[in-house]
Amino acid sequence: MNPPDAAVSATSNPANKGQHGRRLRQRCVANRWFYFLLAPFFLLFFIFGLYPLLFSLYLSFLRWDALSPATWVGLSNFAALAQDELFFVSLKNTLLLGLYHIPPMMLLAFVFAVLLDRQCLKLKGLWRAAVFFPAITPMVVIAIVFSLLFGAELGLVNYLWWRAAAVVGVEAGVLPWLQSESWSKVTVSLLLVWRWTGYNMVIMLAGLQGIDRSLYEAAEVDGATRLQRLTQVTMPLMRPTFLFVFVMSMIGTVYMFDEVFVLTKGGPGVSSTNVGLFLFDEGFGAFRFGYASAAGYSVAAGLFLATLLVLKMGRKDHTA
Amino acid sequence: MAAGVRKMKIGGSWKSYAVLAGAALLFAFPGYWLTSSAVKTQDRIFANPPEVLPWPVAWSNFADVYAETRIVRAFFNTVLIAGCQVALTLLVCSMAGLAFARYRDAPGHKWLFALTLGTMMIPVAVTTIPVFIMLSQFGLINTYWGMILPGAANAFGVFWMRQYISQNVPRALYDAAEIDGAGHLTTYWCVVLPVIRPAMAALGVLVLINSWNNLMWAFIVLRTPDMQTMPLLIYMLQGEQGTPYGQVMAAGLLAAAPLVCAFLLFQRAFIGGVTAGAVKG
Amino acid sequence: MSSLGKWLAIVGLSAIVVVITWLPQLLASKSPAGGPVVEVWAWNTAADSLNALASSYTQRTSDVHIDVIRNGTDMQTRFLLSLAGGVGAPDVCQLQEREVGKFTESGRLMDLTDYAARYGPDFAPAAWANCQFDSKTLAIPWDLGPCAVFYKRWVFDRYGVDPDTIETWDDFIAAGKQIHEASGGQTHMMSLSSGDLSEFFQILMQQAGGSVFNDRGEIAMDVPGNQRALEVMRALLDSGTTAQLEWMEKLSSFNSDAVACYPMAVWFGQYIKDYAPDTAGEWGVFRLPALEPGGLRTSNLGGSVLVIPDQGDERKQAWDYVEYVTCVAESQVRQYRDYGLFPAYLPALTDPYFDEPDPFFGGQRVHRLFSADIEKVRPLTRTKDWAEAERYLRQTLSTWAAGMDHQRYLAESADALGRKLGRPVAAGASDPRGVTE
Repeated sequence: MNPPDAAVSATSNPANKGQHGRRLRQRCVANRWFYFLLAPFFLLFFIFGLYPLLFSLYLSFLRWDALSPATWVGLSNFAALAQDELFFVSLKNTLLLGLYHIPPMMLLAFVFAVLLDRQCLKLKGLWRAAVFFPAITPMVVIAIVFSLLFGAELGLVNYLWWRAAAVVGVEAGVLPWLQSESWSKVTVSLLLVWRWTGYNMVIMLAGLQGIDRSLYEAAEVDGATRLQRLTQVTMPLMRPTFLFVFVMSMIGTVYMFDEVFVLTKGGPGVSSTNVGLFLFDEGFGAFRFGYASAAGYSVAAGLFLATLLVLKMGRKDHTA
Repeated sequence: MAAGVRKMKIGGSWKSYAVLAGAALLFAFPGYWLTSSAVKTQDRIFANPPEVLPWPVAWSNFADVYAETRIVRAFFNTVLIAGCQVALTLLVCSMAGLAFARYRDAPGHKWLFALTLGTMMIPVAVTTIPVFIMLSQFGLINTYWGMILPGAANAFGVFWMRQYISQNVPRALYDAAEIDGAGHLTTYWCVVLPVIRPAMAALGVLVLINSWNNLMWAFIVLRTPDMQTMPLLIYMLQGEQGTPYGQVMAAGLLAAAPLVCAFLLFQRAFIGGVTAGAVKG
Repeated sequence: MSSLGKWLAIVGLSAIVVVITWLPQLLASKSPAGGPVVEVWAWNTAADSLNALASSYTQRTSDVHIDVIRNGTDMQTRFLLSLAGGVGAPDVCQLQEREVGKFTESGRLMDLTDYAARYGPDFAPAAWANCQFDSKTLAIPWDLGPCAVFYKRWVFDRYGVDPDTIETWDDFIAAGKQIHEASGGQTHMMSLSSGDLSEFFQILMQQAGGSVFNDRGEIAMDVPGNQRALEVMRALLDSGTTAQLEWMEKLSSFNSDAVACYPMAVWFGQYIKDYAPDTAGEWGVFRLPALEPGGLRTSNLGGSVLVIPDQGDERKQAWDYVEYVTCVAESQVRQYRDYGLFPAYLPALTDPYFDEPDPFFGGQRVHRLFSADIEKVRPLTRTKDWAEAERYLRQTLSTWAAGMDHQRYLAESADALGRKLGRPVAAGASDPRGVTE
């Protein structure tokens, strides 16, 4: 059965294949509810998904601010992008933010998931809720709370730091969490770890619960220690989950917006401007819609390839 | 198995509890700081040394934010937008999911399904600009529709509903419904929907979280103070002359509370919503 | 599903659709009893100044309420979104001169030609030209940024340099060498870091009659004025008397001897007053050195305008307020006296206030000094792409400074800008004003 081909031939050449066409029409009529039920989704999807996707591609060849007349500029948006220093800074920042926050976040999520997976654990719901709740709080609120906590002079974190240093007997300076170009990424990463650990813990927990318990018993019979069971049985079987979490976090870091928009505005300077904020600034900050579309398309294409690469590498390792 | 469990318990249980308790404290702390700052006056929020216990409790922030912003309206807007988006998404996705699950030999099925799967890859960042331009041409800027419609075509939701319906609604059920003389819509409403309620709850929660907390789209679409949602209201409270942090925290608490309460009541649906996201991985 | 159920569902759904569509109108808060409200967006001192003028305006016309919303958070972005979306824009908005083109070309601003044309001759031509597009007046100049040199009297006195003898940039460089050598290399004449290059270039470019665009909107970078500007900058850089200060360092240099003077716009004086209050009375101002003996001794940098979006209900009221703020000498003098915003409305400059001495600058009559010749600064075609062109200059001028020939830099940047902006490059080194003049 190959419906698309059938549809094409039936419409393009109805006379020759009259019988086929009639059968097709009958099948369409018999399945009319298929189309009725799909209609609302596809209506919305065409208007707000497919059409914007193509429109955006067209935009990427224009210079246009949606206010004054558009100019066709061919590929020069892409050429300009290739020379845009800020774009490459945002790529670098994105990479660094990912490097800073994804490994500790995945480690923490995995440790908590393993702990929560124990059947005898008491108060499971409480622990899970406490670690998970950051994922449902409005980012704008928490980003402002973080800006208070990490304030240079009057923030709680620096206060604790000074007290701790005083106990040890060391003179401690102000930690410029949000004021320094080299620290801002660290602070954003802490926010990201806080925000997403619980979320990914829940995903990993589901992965752990999907593992056949008899494998553990078999390993135990073979005399494996708990650590060995973890590294030899659990972790290899969790690979698909790890890969999923990693890829989703990677994509999330690229397109992340609220966190940096509220906490740092991408600054100081452009030190915490990631790709998501760069796209927003070019698009809605400066109304360079054509340029922002070209950048958006380039990023989406690059990210798509990177995702494929990561998935492929992940699978290859698995079979090796 | 029983032996294994006991051994685990003897193994490191107090250590596990210590780790979990520490983590729980750390992760809950910003929430606590939000709550406690909401009941401190501005100077006490910046007290040196920081005031860990907010005593005496000051309710003035709530009164101020009520007096100085349209927070009641913003709360109502947020509820309306999130509620409609959840309802619309669930309706659209479950209908399309049923279509893909039930009418397997409909012409175009394969092609349309592939198209749906393909759209899961479209990043929002690419479509934001065209959708904004379209909305301004349709006159939908600064309307509820401008907030509700663009996110409602959720390809992932359709995929998920299809999976769930395929696995949980046996084909015999459709046939039985048909023999009973039930129409296709009746079957959808009276037979399928009750069965897929858990998946609907989970998808609904996922959409709710995103819609309730959405800042970027609200910033772009909602242009006047009376249309603001809670996240946008909180964002706009930050002024160039210094932010009224007390008010921000009070509004923030009100914005966060409904979801947190819902989460505590319906943990299962929330967890389900998140883990279902991993299904496609 | 019964047919009744179907009907109920259809009716229910339509009811929901209708409610969601009309609810905002139903819930719309009625404007407080009384006359019309004019909403104004501005930020910082500009907002303070507009607010102060609002109260005196309201005293004259009692039924109008001017609501100045002081919030610079993403103001330009929010304004653009509201213009493009056709809803939510204020009745009056403050814009910086450098971003005006984008808005005048948007077609979303009220055409003020009929109301404002008669005021045209009363404004500095450069500022007025910036508010026109398609032979319509779409914005009103509000404040200007005439340029001069702020100098430290104590430094000039110590090394025996008389600022009155500095008439051209050559004199300026000679004085700089004298100070630099006499101070043992401790004191530089001015700061010309990579961050300063673009603003300084714009000062010189306008002084020399250079351009980025000609009046046909073509790229006209390779013109004699720009070459002259670059020559002066090159001579300054080569003299070894310039320092490389970042913005924060520059602010703290007010209190030290690191730099002797600051060629800048009038608003820069407010920074000096704010950041170095202890040095009051120790400062002076001399006029911008000319490019050649007897040449123009001023330029323009910064300044802003007021616009009225064409989507508001109170456009006439809004114009009435804008007219009061921009086209009444008394208002313009007040905004300068109280908030340091230099009048764009020339009749205001005849006010006696401009002959008063300023104690911060050692009792010098700096207001009069800044107001001299501002009507002689040549208009600059900015177009909607000015901000982007400016960004390009900011990014590339440091490459030029590192050692690139003027001719090559101007030709290359003309090509690059032409490609980037999708505009033709004007042929040859022509007059920037094109053929029409």
